[in-house]
Amino acid sequence: MALKEKYNDRIQLHLSKYPDSRSAVMPLLYIAQEEYGYVNDQGVDEVAEILDLDPTQVRSIAGFYTMYSEKPKGKYWLQVCTDLACALNGADEFHKALKDYLGVEEGGTTEDGLFTVEHVMCLAACDKAPMLQCNFHFMEDLDMDKMKAWVEEKRAEYQAELDAK
Amino acid sequence: MAIPVKDDTKLVTVKIDDKEYQVPAGANLVDLAKWYADNDIPVFCYHPKLEPVGMCRMCLVELGSIMRDRETGDVVLDDNGEPTVRWFPKLQTACTQTASDGMVVRTNTEAVDETRENVLEFLLTSHPLDCPICDKGGECPLQNLTMEHGPQESRMIYSDKMHLQKHVPLGDLIFLDRERCIQCARCVRFQDELVGDAVLGFHERGRRLQIITSSDPGFDTYFSGNTTDICPVGALTTADFRFGARPWEMTEIPSISPWDAAGENISLSMRLDRDFGGRAMIKRVMPRQNEYVNELWISDKTRFGHHFTRSLDRLVEPMVSFGDKLTDQSWNDAYKAAVTALEGASGDVAAIAGGAISNEDLWELRQLVEGLGGSRLGAWPPTHGGADLVAEVGVGQDTNLKELGAGDAILVVASDLEEEVPIWRLRLKRAQDRGAYLVVANARPTRMEEFALDTQRNDKPVEGAAVRYAPGEAAAAISDLKSSNKDVYDRLADATNLVVVAGADGLDLDGNKALMQACANLLIETDHVGKANNGLMSPIPGPNGMGLHYLGYTPEVTQDIVANPPKVLIVAQAEPAEDDPTATEWLSKVDTVITLSLFPDRTTSYASIVLPIQSFAERDGTFVNGERRVQRFYTAQGPLGEAVPAWKILTTIREKLGQGRAKLSAAAVMLEITKNVDVFAEMRYKNLSQVTRQFPEIGGDDLYYGGTAYQNRGGLGIQIPSAADSGKVKAGKVASVKATKASKGELIALPITELYNRSNAFMPSGLVHARVAVPYVTLSSSDADDLGLVDGDLVEVSFEGGAVRVRATVGDVPAGVALLPQHLTDEPTPIVPTVVTLSKIAQPVLA
Ligand code: SF4
Ligand code: FES
Ligand code: FES
Repeated sequence: MALKEKYNDRIQLHLSKYPDSRSAVMPLLYIAQEEYGYVNDQGVDEVAEILDLDPTQVRSIAGFYTMYSEKPKGKYWLQVCTDLACALNGADEFHKALKDYLGVEEGGTTEDGLFTVEHVMCLAACDKAPMLQCNFHFMEDLDMDKMKAWVEEKRAEYQAELDAK
Repeated sequence: MAIPVKDDTKLVTVKIDDKEYQVPAGANLVDLAKWYADNDIPVFCYHPKLEPVGMCRMCLVELGSIMRDRETGDVVLDDNGEPTVRWFPKLQTACTQTASDGMVVRTNTEAVDETRENVLEFLLTSHPLDCPICDKGGECPLQNLTMEHGPQESRMIYSDKMHLQKHVPLGDLIFLDRERCIQCARCVRFQDELVGDAVLGFHERGRRLQIITSSDPGFDTYFSGNTTDICPVGALTTADFRFGARPWEMTEIPSISPWDAAGENISLSMRLDRDFGGRAMIKRVMPRQNEYVNELWISDKTRFGHHFTRSLDRLVEPMVSFGDKLTDQSWNDAYKAAVTALEGASGDVAAIAGGAISNEDLWELRQLVEGLGGSRLGAWPPTHGGADLVAEVGVGQDTNLKELGAGDAILVVASDLEEEVPIWRLRLKRAQDRGAYLVVANARPTRMEEFALDTQRNDKPVEGAAVRYAPGEAAAAISDLKSSNKDVYDRLADATNLVVVAGADGLDLDGNKALMQACANLLIETDHVGKANNGLMSPIPGPNGMGLHYLGYTPEVTQDIVANPPKVLIVAQAEPAEDDPTATEWLSKVDTVITLSLFPDRTTSYASIVLPIQSFAERDGTFVNGERRVQRFYTAQGPLGEAVPAWKILTTIREKLGQGRAKLSAAAVMLEITKNVDVFAEMRYKNLSQVTRQFPEIGGDDLYYGGTAYQNRGGLGIQIPSAADSGKVKAGKVASVKATKASKGELIALPITELYNRSNAFMPSGLVHARVAVPYVTLSSSDADDLGLVDGDLVEVSFEGGAVRVRATVGDVPAGVALLPQHLTDEPTPIVPTVVTLSKIAQPVLA
């Protein structure tokens, strides 16, 4: 069983935090998402098995929270906040410009598999708007110039990796 | 909690819409308003059999409490001398409130009316409003409540509605319409709380919230159909009934499930139908409330297994063989042949009757045999003894399994209840949820054992223990419990109430009888007999296993008939040659076999006279369930072909034999039984059809409360008192049991039960075929190694009287035995533990 072997220490750590093992379902789903890039059926089945839950229960949790992705994502998962405070600071325009620059629709992934863009509700960084979270790390006080530079940097890194192979 | 109140319930005063009521402390507000004040608080998510969750907000009411002075405890009066009420600033969900003294409720104010209207408008914002083509239309809580409380018009823009999938199969049996779902979670909670299989869940949130299953296989339980009854909209429908009829076209006929010892009360929804030549046919089978028996639930087998009543495979004409071949004959000629055969037997007449035949049939059959000078009346199958002990120390008068809980204990031994009597398993698991201690003893794993080993369920602790004994050693395991398993024994002995369910899983008749005696002794020694919610039950096959006992049919006599075949044998609604590989051998020794049968089968091919009988749906009669409750079923469907009720065939033959005038109705037969068999003295049809008020009160206009289970209009039945109810009983001696022995290279096959199987009566229900298991045999890994077998190998299992080819599976069973389910193969397999040999069949290699 992949997750259990590969991440045993982390899984055990999470299990030890709760009196009732099923409470560890969310941290374990993160591990599954990390491993498979998104919450796939295999990840759900494995988490269910570890926690002695029915796969349906695990899938329900993954479906409820937006931090879990149930579809394959790019290497960089960009979640742009477009909630009220950010919107007042131009988040909508920023979000649209980012999509246009990358050439993707809402929720879409670039052809090279590097970037996925979607909008989310308040991430509690309203004072640093516009902002987004990339693979759960905040990037704040953004504008398109900064963003373009970052995107190109990542593209170059990726190209270098390809060249090295 | 208890509604209606028990002697020791604490009462409190609650005021609803300015009237005061004395109600049990802690009772749910929705329940008590309905029961005591006849006030229907509308609900969607609340259901009286499920835990409240407060999800839908339909039940909002004004709630307050009478103020008391903190120091003196006196009621604070206002300027007019009236008690002051402290109101909650906002409306409260009634479904999450429980009665306490001084509670004040208003349900008839403007604020409440407006809220109800608003909640409905909200629920309808994205509802498809496809009532005209919806199966629930006409009996739909959402429809009814909208008519009563809803807005007349929607302010919603139609094109803004959420569109979701409309035909999602959640398994083979249930379809989901995601647009109609109002997210009440009743189906989810039914599965989680009652069944214990969390195979339904929600996915996403907000307007996209929808029901899913990610389990494999999907929505696969023996109780799935019940979710369609409690779903307050048409989101869940059964594959069997969907698009089949409108509710108002159907006539409801009260009946009893023909499958097992639970005796589930059902309602047959009948409609004249072109699929049945314009005659009334069963469109669906629905639960009928009997809080003592099945509450509001039925198993899927009961719900979906009705197709045999009009199967084209049924026998529809009498057949007689004058030489070597059975040919169709008129009833006149068939009767003539029967009379000639019976008269020629010079008294050497015996009968074997199955567990699905009614008391009326059994009585006429017994009169016939005894009138001819015979005395041997056998019960089929000869595997379950101990009905006499159930009669003696069976569960006491007024037993209701739903009352078992904390402080009580349950012992299930040698039975796979999930497969044998699903409703008992549902109710006993629920008792464990409420705190009862569940002990499961068997030689092999079962679903019930998993429950016994659970330590917590839905965040609440549950208790139990599993006892594994060596195959065949069930009786010893129970007799020795005190020394071998003191902790478990003490818990059982000290329990306030103790119910024991003992079966014949993996046992032969002697083994089962010894076990029943050991269980009876345990109950007597620990003083758990002769009172409600205490005593013995047994999953004797068929809906009338106890009726066989009370009317004088025993498995021991069957064994005697097998050993010493009579001249004429009447086989009544039993299929020995279908069940038992050794039957053909003894059947062929009988001069004349007369069968009363539903289907042509292996048994009828040994008969020279075959008389077609009517199924439970075509006639009326009574069954005695495993809790000794005598229950009536009513005529729903017209006869198939020339089939006649068994009692009528028998009473006609009796008349022709000069045994008196033929009776004209099943009621008349029952009247005669009441006069001749003491325990039936009270069981006249009129008495059996009495109904008293039941909690929860369901099935009126307020379908939203309990769902579409039907109100009981056919009678709650009457329980026959056990001997212990009426006097003292003594423990008996547990006979020692001879174990079946196998030599080297052989295994002992233990017959087990699969709820869904290939029996003649179940096969016509095609919808369920996909869920009948591929024939298999389960053996231990050590035996599999010895035999060179791996999981999935095709093997031939040979035994006395035959052989079958099945798939080998390796499982958690003791070495030396193999589990061989009955009725999965076309050919019969052993009905008692039997020595078998297994050999691997080389499979053709696919190119
Ligand atoms: S399918 Fe029916 S029972 Fe289940 S949540 Fe939806 S409305 Fe409720
Ligand atoms: S509104 Fe964007 S982070 Fe709060
Ligand atoms: S919130 Fe009370 S019935 Fe749904």
